[in-house]
Amino acid sequence: MSAHATTAHNEELNYLNWKTGIWSWLSSTDHKRICFLYLFTILIFFFVGGIAALLMRLELATTGPTIPSVVTSPHIYNVLFTLHGVFMIFLFVVPGIPATLGNFLIPLMIGAKDVAFPRLNLFSYYLYVIGALIGALSLWNPFSGLTAVDTGWTFYAPYSTTTGSSVSLMVFAAFVLGFSSILTGLNFIVTIHQLRAPGMTWMRLPVFIWASYATAIIQTVATPVVGMTLLLIIAERVFGAGIFDPTKGGDPVLMEHLFWFYSHPVVYIMVLPAFGVVGEIIPVFSRKPLFGYKMVVLSSMAIAAVGFVVWAHHMFVSGISDFSAIFFSLVTFLVAIPTAIKVFNWVSTMYKGSISFTTPMLYAMAFVFLFMIAGTTGIYLAMLGVDVYYHDTYFVVAHFHYTIQGGAVIGLIAALHYWFPKMSGKMYNETLSKIAFALVFIGFNLTFIPQFILGMDGMPRRYYNYPPEYQNMHTLSTIGAFMNGVGYTFALVNLLMTALFGKVKAPRNPYNSVGLEWQTASPPIHENFPETPVVDKDPYHYGTPAHV
Amino acid sequence: MLGLLGEQGSDFAHKVDYAHDIVTIISVVCTVAIVGTMLYFAVIYRKRDGVDHETPMIEGNSLLEVIWTVFPTLVVIWVAYLGYDSFVDMRTVPPGAMEVNVTAKKWAWDFQYANGKRTTGELVVPVDQPVKLIMTSKDVLHSFFVPVMRTKMDVIPGRYTYEWFRPIKTGDFQVFCTEYCGDLHSGMLARLKVLPKAEFERWLADDSEELKLASMKPSDRGQEIYNKQCVACHSLDGSPRVGPSWLKIYGKEGQLVGGGTYKADENYIRESIYYPQAKTVAGYEAAKNAMASYQGQLSEDDITSLIAFMKTVDGTQKIVPAQPAAPKAADAAQLAAMSPAERGKALFNDPGNMCYTCHSIDGSRLVGPSMKGIWERKSKMSDGTEIVSDASYIKESIWKPQAKVVEGYPPAMPAIYEGKLTEENVSDIIEYLKTLK
Repeated sequence: MSAHATTAHNEELNYLNWKTGIWSWLSSTDHKRICFLYLFTILIFFFVGGIAALLMRLELATTGPTIPSVVTSPHIYNVLFTLHGVFMIFLFVVPGIPATLGNFLIPLMIGAKDVAFPRLNLFSYYLYVIGALIGALSLWNPFSGLTAVDTGWTFYAPYSTTTGSSVSLMVFAAFVLGFSSILTGLNFIVTIHQLRAPGMTWMRLPVFIWASYATAIIQTVATPVVGMTLLLIIAERVFGAGIFDPTKGGDPVLMEHLFWFYSHPVVYIMVLPAFGVVGEIIPVFSRKPLFGYKMVVLSSMAIAAVGFVVWAHHMFVSGISDFSAIFFSLVTFLVAIPTAIKVFNWVSTMYKGSISFTTPMLYAMAFVFLFMIAGTTGIYLAMLGVDVYYHDTYFVVAHFHYTIQGGAVIGLIAALHYWFPKMSGKMYNETLSKIAFALVFIGFNLTFIPQFILGMDGMPRRYYNYPPEYQNMHTLSTIGAFMNGVGYTFALVNLLMTALFGKVKAPRNPYNSVGLEWQTASPPIHENFPETPVVDKDPYHYGTPAHV
Repeated sequence: MLGLLGEQGSDFAHKVDYAHDIVTIISVVCTVAIVGTMLYFAVIYRKRDGVDHETPMIEGNSLLEVIWTVFPTLVVIWVAYLGYDSFVDMRTVPPGAMEVNVTAKKWAWDFQYANGKRTTGELVVPVDQPVKLIMTSKDVLHSFFVPVMRTKMDVIPGRYTYEWFRPIKTGDFQVFCTEYCGDLHSGMLARLKVLPKAEFERWLADDSEELKLASMKPSDRGQEIYNKQCVACHSLDGSPRVGPSWLKIYGKEGQLVGGGTYKADENYIRESIYYPQAKTVAGYEAAKNAMASYQGQLSEDDITSLIAFMKTVDGTQKIVPAQPAAPKAADAAQLAAMSPAERGKALFNDPGNMCYTCHSIDGSRLVGPSMKGIWERKSKMSDGTEIVSDASYIKESIWKPQAKVVEGYPPAMPAIYEGKLTEENVSDIIEYLKTLK
C-alpha cells in the first residue's frame, strides 16, 4: 500500500515541482528551468521593444509631429528606434529560440539528462541579465548627464564616437551579451557532440538540432568579432584612439565592415533555429517524413558557412570599391540557393500527407509564406543596381522585418505552441490561439506591405518626419502595427494563462510524434528520462513504407 | 514596364527599372507557385473526420532535388547579371561630365561649381549633361539619394566618394539624406533643379549676390548677416530680446550663469556662435538652450565679419536694423483686398515680425512651438496647467509672451509685439494659424 502511494507520488513529480520556491528557480541548473528564466526575461524586452515600435508607428501615422506630447523632439524618436533595434535584436531575437527552446529541447531531443555544462548554462543566463541591465541603463540613466543612446542599433562611426550620449555603456552591454551568447553556443556544441543517446547518430538528429548546431557555430565564431569592435568603439570614445575617426586618420568604413562581419551572420543566428522549428512541425502534422532530410541538414550548414562571407552586401553604397561590391553581390546570391531548397522541401513534405491544421501548423505554413516574401525581397537587395536605389529605404525595413519577425519571431511563437504541452504539462486552447494567429498574421502583413510600397517610392528609413505624399501608406502601416501588437499580446497571454490556470492536462505525446522529446512525461522529470533511451529509428519515421 | 519605382530622371534609370521588373515577375511567380502548391496540398491532403489516413513514407527524390538546386542557381545567376549590368553604368562616369563638389554637414548640403558659385540645399544642373558629384562630409556619415535618378552614395568624412547621372528631363526633384546623421536627419533635404541648358548657363554666370558680398567691407557684410540671421534674438539698441543686446557688446564684461565672468573678445564671441551652450550670460538662464549652434551655417569668414560689425555697434551712431518699410498706400490697398488669413500670413512672414524664425509651420521644433495644428491644440504649461490654444490664449501669448509658457520650451519670446501688432493684426494672424492644420 505504502509502496503504491510512493509510486503515485513519484509520477506526480516533474521538473516544475520537484523543488519549489523562487530561489530553486533562480539558482537552478536544470536546462528546462533555465529555458523559463530566459523566456520570461526576453519576453519583457520583447514587450518594451514592441512598445517603442508602437510609439514610433504612432508618431509616423501622420506627417509632422503626431504625438508631440510623447515624442517631443526628433531626438526622442531617434532614441526610440535605437531602443527598439537594440532590445529586439540583442535582448530578444538573438537569445530568442536558442536560449529558450534550444535549452529546453537539445538535451530532450538527443536523449541527454542536461546540457554538457549546466552551471555554465546558468552563468550565461546571468551574464545575459547583467548585459541587459547595463543596456537598459544606457537608455535611461538617472546617474549621468549623458542622454539616451541615439545611434541606431548599428552604432556607425563617427556618429557613435562623437554623439553626447551613453554609447560606451550601451556598447559595453552588447559586449557582455556577446559573452553570454558565446558560452551558450559552446555549451550546445559540446552537448550535441558528446551527450547523444546510444543510437542517436548524426544523421538521426532532428533538424532542429542541426539548426541549433549551425547557430551555435556562428555564435562562437562571429560574436568575438563584434566584441572586439565594441571594445574599439570604447577605446575611440574614452581614449580617442583614432581607429574610426577620420580627423585622427581613422576609417569610419572599417567600423561598418567589423559591425556587419558579425551582424550579418547574426541574421542566421536568428532565423536558422526557426527553420529548425518549421522542419519539426510540418512532418508531425502531415504524418510524413521530412522530405530530403539530408539536403535540409546540408542547407543549414551551407547557410551558416556562406553567411560569413556576404557581410558587405550591407555596404554597396558605403564607399567600398566597385569590385568588392560586385564580389559580395555574387556571393550573396549563393544564400538564395540553400534557402530555396528548404522551402521546396517543406512544401514537398506535405505531399500526400494527412494534414491537420493545429495552431503550430498554421504558424509553420504562415512562416513559409512570409519567408517567401522575405527571401524574394532579399533578391532585390542583393542586386547591385536595384540595391543602390533601395538601400536605407523602407523597402529594407520591410524586408528585414519579414525575415526577422516573419521568420524568427513567428518561428518562436510556433515553437512555443508546439512544445507548450511538453513544457507546461497543459494543452493550450486551440480556438483562442487561432484567433491570436489571425490577428498576428493579418496585422503583420498590414504593417509591412505598405512599407514595401513606401520603399518603392523612395521613402528613407530612420526619418522622424516625411513629405505628405507618403502619409497614406504610413497610416496603414500604423494600423497594422497595432493589430500585430494586440495579436502577440493575445497569443502570449493566452499561453501564460493556460500554463498557470489551464485545466486540460497534456498527455505524454499529444501529437503522436516520433520525436524523442515526446517519449518522456509531460512535463518531463528533473533529468528528463527515467533511463537513458536507445534510438533505433530515423527522426521522422512517419507513414507506411512503400511496397517494393 | 511595371513602373513601380516612379518617374525616371536619368539615362540609366530604365536599366535599374528593367532589372527591378524582371525580379518582380520572378518573385511573384515563384511565391504564387510555391504558396499555391502548399495551399493546394493543404486542401486535398487535409485530415478528414479527425482521423489520419495512411500516408506514404517518402523520404526524398533525388531528381526533384537536383532540379530545385539547379533551377534557382540559374535564375540567380541571371538576376545577379542584371543587377551588375545596371550597377556598372551608374559607376562609370562618361568623359566630359560637369563636376560639382558636394559637402555634407549636419544638416545641410552645400554645392560648389567649377566657377566658384556656391549654393546650399539646391543643386542646379543642366539637362542632358552628365553631372559628377564629388562628395565629402564635414562631420558624420551622410548619403546623397536622388530617387528620380536612381542613384545614391554615402558621403564620408575624410575621403571623397562620387556619384553621377545624366538628367533626361527638366524639373524640380527631391534629394534625401539616407544615412542616419542625428537629430535633424529627416530634415536634411535638398532640391535638384534640372534646367534647360541656356537657362542653366545664365544661372551659373549670375554671380551678383556673391560679388556683392565679396566686395563689401567686413563690417557691412557682418550687418548683412546680422539682418538675416541674428536680428530676431539680439537687438542693437540695448533692449533685451531672447538673447543679450549687441549694443556695446564688444569688450563687454559680465557674470556667467553658474559663476565666473566673461569678456566678450573675439574668442568669446566665436565660441558663443559655434557653441552657444558653453557659456550663458547671467540673466539669460531661461534662454540657455534657445540658440542653436551656427557651426556649418556661418563660416570663419562670416564670424570675422560679424565681429567687425559688432565693433561698430558702440553707441556712437544709431544703427537701424532691417525693418520693413511701412506699407505703402498701394500695399495697404493690396492688404485690404486680402482675406484675413492671407493678411495674417503676410504678417507672419514679415521680416519685421520674424515669427517664422522661432515658430515653424511644418511641425518641426524651432525655438518655440510649431504653429502646425496650433488652433485649439491642448498643451501643458510649465506650471502644470493644461490650456486650449483659442483666440484669447494666442492673443495673450503674442502680447504677453511670458504669461504662459508651454512646458519644455524656454520663456524666450521677446515682449515686443504689444503695440507693434494691433488687435486687428492679431486676429488676422489667428485666422492664418487656423489654416495650419
